[in-house]
Amino acid sequence: MSPRPVRAEEGADEGMVVVGRGLSLRRGRRTVLREVDLCLREGEVVALLGPNGAGKSSLVGLIGGLLEPTAGDLREHGRCATVLQSPGLARRSVLGNVELALTWWGVPRSERRERAMTALAVMRAEHLARRPALRLSGGEQRRVHVARGLALQPDLLILDEPFAGLDPDAMATFRDDTADALRRHAGAALVVLQDRADAWALADRMLVLLDGRIAADGPPDEVLQSPPTEEVARFLGYRGRLSNDDGVLLTRASQVRLDPHGSLVGTAVRVRRTEDGALVEVDLPTGRVQAYADARPPQAGDTVRVELLGGVRFPAR
Amino acid sequence: MDFFLQGLRDAWDLVTGGDPALWQITWVTLKVAGFSTIAALILGLPVGVALGLGRFPGRRAALVAANAGLGLPPVVVGLVLALLMFPQAPLGRFHLLFTLRGVYIAQTVLALPIIIALTAAAVRSLPVGLLDQARAFGAGRVRLSVLALREARVGILVATIAAVGSGLSEVGAVVLVGGNIEGVDQTLASAALARVDAGQFAPGLAIGIVLLALILVITAVLTWIQQGEAGHPRAPS
Repeated sequence: MSPRPVRAEEGADEGMVVVGRGLSLRRGRRTVLREVDLCLREGEVVALLGPNGAGKSSLVGLIGGLLEPTAGDLREHGRCATVLQSPGLARRSVLGNVELALTWWGVPRSERRERAMTALAVMRAEHLARRPALRLSGGEQRRVHVARGLALQPDLLILDEPFAGLDPDAMATFRDDTADALRRHAGAALVVLQDRADAWALADRMLVLLDGRIAADGPPDEVLQSPPTEEVARFLGYRGRLSNDDGVLLTRASQVRLDPHGSLVGTAVRVRRTEDGALVEVDLPTGRVQAYADARPPQAGDTVRVELLGGVRFPAR
Repeated sequence: MDFFLQGLRDAWDLVTGGDPALWQITWVTLKVAGFSTIAALILGLPVGVALGLGRFPGRRAALVAANAGLGLPPVVVGLVLALLMFPQAPLGRFHLLFTLRGVYIAQTVLALPIIIALTAAAVRSLPVGLLDQARAFGAGRVRLSVLALREARVGILVATIAAVGSGLSEVGAVVLVGGNIEGVDQTLASAALARVDAGQFAPGLAIGIVLLALILVITAVLTWIQQGEAGHPRAPS
């Protein structure tokens, strides 16, 4: 997993930090990545999403230098540092841990203290500098962990599921601070995310990995509004599906309104209470949709009317 | 019971009487334990760290060999080394048989697997994330090894305590290689054995009590250091 040497080619891949073409990876008998094309540009923050087993860790392993592709060409320009999911802090102070990472990275001793303190300040963890790292809370350890990666100032910083396992409150502030820090980070950043909602807070671009292939690549809003395939749409929360001879219409709950004057009539089949009301599943003659209801949701079995406000259409297969 | 009381009285007399022979034997014992432990640490730590960190063919077999070495019978080690040190044998030209240098070597051979096996176990029990993260941040082999040694220091202190304990109390290899020569390479343990062999049970017990006290003091100091390391992460740097 050591950082790869600079392998820049004069004039080629200008402005790119990573360029991968046709990357495939087999692990044992299983093909985990299939002809993946990707590029990461200087200064951009890219979110990598996908369900468990899609190949995210393998792709990150390839880019981070842990794994070698079975096929394809991977060119990297500059040094890459990966902040692994587990904080993996050493038995020393927080400041000592960040300085240790700088030592590994090869930063001269005279620069380490200042760079470490700056990175801790960016992650709002400078008050922890003198504390023993192993006595911090889980959330504090994650902050220090990300600060270590930022202190290295790599050309590509990979964050592997940095928010996994944190409680929602700690996660929200940590995510916002990480987003600010990545905006200031001069190099590119690739962030592996579990929760797609985090992509909007963090990333300029979103990669969706499904079954070892890049299934979507673009700004989060664009990908959400126009998912390229049904699979991507379903992964992005399009749970409603209506079909006819022309094709299928996939909808998100926010694109369906329960409306007494709605044009479609159906039956509420499941009502799940939420903080702000309820999520209602409605069976329609052409399929099933989900819709949000207010404080007085229908009961399961009630006849309801709905109005479609949007959705994405795919031709019949 | 009389033996014990007599032994305790003799032990007290030995310690308070300032018997120069006792101090000489104690000094030899400390030298044997100290030298063999330091030599085993110098030779064994790199091997233990490599076995703990490494991913190379034969690592598992080497670990099995190191762990088996923990049960190495001192008498067999002493016998083999003594045979190798006979004048016509491969090590004969070094004139090690019945010398303190020979005893150092024998005890180092016994301490080495202790250091290797327990260091490898201590390194292997480190959190996986720590070492992987160091690799992901560009740590080379040397820096990774330094990190592993530092983080596994509590386990390495356990290995050191075990090696020192072995060096202080071991008798089989010391007697076979050193010849148990009083004033040359006789240690407290082999001196106690010599007294018992001569039917002097009370003096043998007295030396045994002095040896136990020495082991207690040294291991107490090492344990105190170890507990300090385990209980308190290093102060902020």
